Amino acid sequence: MRYYVQRVALAILLLLAVSMLTFGALNILGDPLFNILGPVAGDVNNPDSIKMIALAKKEFNLDRALPVRYFIWLSHFVRGDFGVTFSSTGQPPVSGVISERLPRTISLVFLAQMFAIFVSIPWAIIAAARAGKVSDRISTINAFFLVAMPNFAIAVILKFVFSLKLGWTPITYVADDPLSSRLFQLLLPALTIGLPVAAVYQRLLRTDLITTLQQDFILLARTKGLSKTRILFVHALRPSLFSFITVVGLNTGALIGGSIVAETVFRIPGIGSTLVESIFRNDFPVVLAIVMIVASAFVVINLLVDFAYTLIDPRVRR
Amino acid sequence: MSTTSVTPAPEDTIVRKKLGFGFWLCVTWIGLMAFIAIFAPVLPLKSPTANFLDSARGRPPYAPSWSHWFGTDKDARDVFSRSLYGARISLTVGFTAITAGFLIGGSLGVISGYYKGWIDRISSFGFIVLLSFPSLVLAILLTSLIDRNLLTVSLVLGLLSIAPVGRLARAATLQYADREFVLAARQIGATNRRIIIKEILPNVAIPMSSLALLGMAVAVVAEGGLAFLGFSVQKGITWGGLIQLGSDASKTLQDAPWIAFFPILMLFLTVLSLNFAGDRLRTFFDVKETTL
Repeated sequence: MRYYVQRVALAILLLLAVSMLTFGALNILGDPLFNILGPVAGDVNNPDSIKMIALAKKEFNLDRALPVRYFIWLSHFVRGDFGVTFSSTGQPPVSGVISERLPRTISLVFLAQMFAIFVSIPWAIIAAARAGKVSDRISTINAFFLVAMPNFAIAVILKFVFSLKLGWTPITYVADDPLSSRLFQLLLPALTIGLPVAAVYQRLLRTDLITTLQQDFILLARTKGLSKTRILFVHALRPSLFSFITVVGLNTGALIGGSIVAETVFRIPGIGSTLVESIFRNDFPVVLAIVMIVASAFVVINLLVDFAYTLIDPRVRR
Repeated sequence: MSTTSVTPAPEDTIVRKKLGFGFWLCVTWIGLMAFIAIFAPVLPLKSPTANFLDSARGRPPYAPSWSHWFGTDKDARDVFSRSLYGARISLTVGFTAITAGFLIGGSLGVISGYYKGWIDRISSFGFIVLLSFPSLVLAILLTSLIDRNLLTVSLVLGLLSIAPVGRLARAATLQYADREFVLAARQIGATNRRIIIKEILPNVAIPMSSLALLGMAVAVVAEGGLAFLGFSVQKGITWGGLIQLGSDASKTLQDAPWIAFFPILMLFLTVLSLNFAGDRLRTFFDVKETTL
């Protein structure tokens, strides 16, 4: 129990540090007043501009000290109020933008993660069972090639081959389409993110499986006459999954980063592409909200991974 | 030494390690790219910004031909020389970033692994905070707020490599901090600074340096990703930027795939070489499996 409390406390501490860093970076390195008003912010000789500046400062609490602003923002943020977007009308509110677009990114990352896990496990098992043979070497080379391919390059290649040349997959994502066709539209983006990650998982799990297969209990299982498939999938897999699970958690960060690229290339209005657009539009509250949500998700996922770890190996808790 | 009996290893268990042909092939490619990156302006290359409009061939982009090996882009600029020039920023940023990361992260890691206590706690917490951001998100956030030039983009990517490098250096230092030769040095009155430099650093630096190539591959890919999204160095040619230019409009990608695909090839071969050579070096120095 104590272990869980400690881990949760650390996670909360981390989130606070992350939020301070993000808020601080955007407020100190960036210029919030300019982001709100545009060129008017620098026009301090025109009385109208001075009035607007004073109003904006009041409305967005810019006349307060930075720590005060941070606490005001944080108290709103934890209640789900992410502020207003910087447009002429302030509509839709940031929370509206997020709740509309976040589900797309979550489904994309989830699809990619599932793809990577369910491809890499059998791939690693087959490779480990034939370790050192020609087929294993070929698969190792393939994994190496995939790892060396940046995901934006994979996105461009997949789009070129499957959307433009073969015409098998649609080029655009249509938010109003029924679920099944939207899932199909997410196929190439999910492959973009999932393929290199699958290769990373495969390389790791293959090495761990080969180590496990050399242990005595595998020899015992073999002398008992169990089938090779049963030994591989039942006896060897579970003890080999420790570092695999950690890496799956850590790679969620890579998947989120990949979703920014994939959403941009395949024009999916998720929070990744929105982050890029908002930065170019200087839409500071949206950027802040997205970075915070993404970082929080990452921290929470790794916390859950740590907990999952204790289920497989209870010794970790002590 | 003569009093301790050490069983000599049997002849057949000694495996003479070799780096292998593939390693040298990769090193050659990296060397070639580095050479081109440095000497591109004096090499007999076409100008990467000149317009090679040829009225006889109609409207650009032109497909690859004898005069333009990789074809030209929509502004009739030579893709071959642009792809080579792209190595300049990509490799400079990759190299500077990983150097900065190793210097800062490495020293932080060694210091916190050696002194332990509160220094260790603070820097370890700092590392975890940096690792709490998906790296591309942090890179985009920071590069969007600064004036993007060669140095600042390199430093942002260097900042991202501090935490992974620092954790590795710390773990490696912890292995040695309480060993006999360190205790012996302390017994004869060596200062902490001398112990770190003379005793710890040589043991930590060699395995760490074999990870430098892998780290550089990560930095080159990260720079490419930033450039692809429009967050890398503002002026100049980068691989990521060239790929973005060739794939931004579906029509360009469909009609003139060479604009995007040749830079992809260069980037891929470079990252592959860095990864492969780094992997071989790591096995050669017998560094434990760690994710950088």
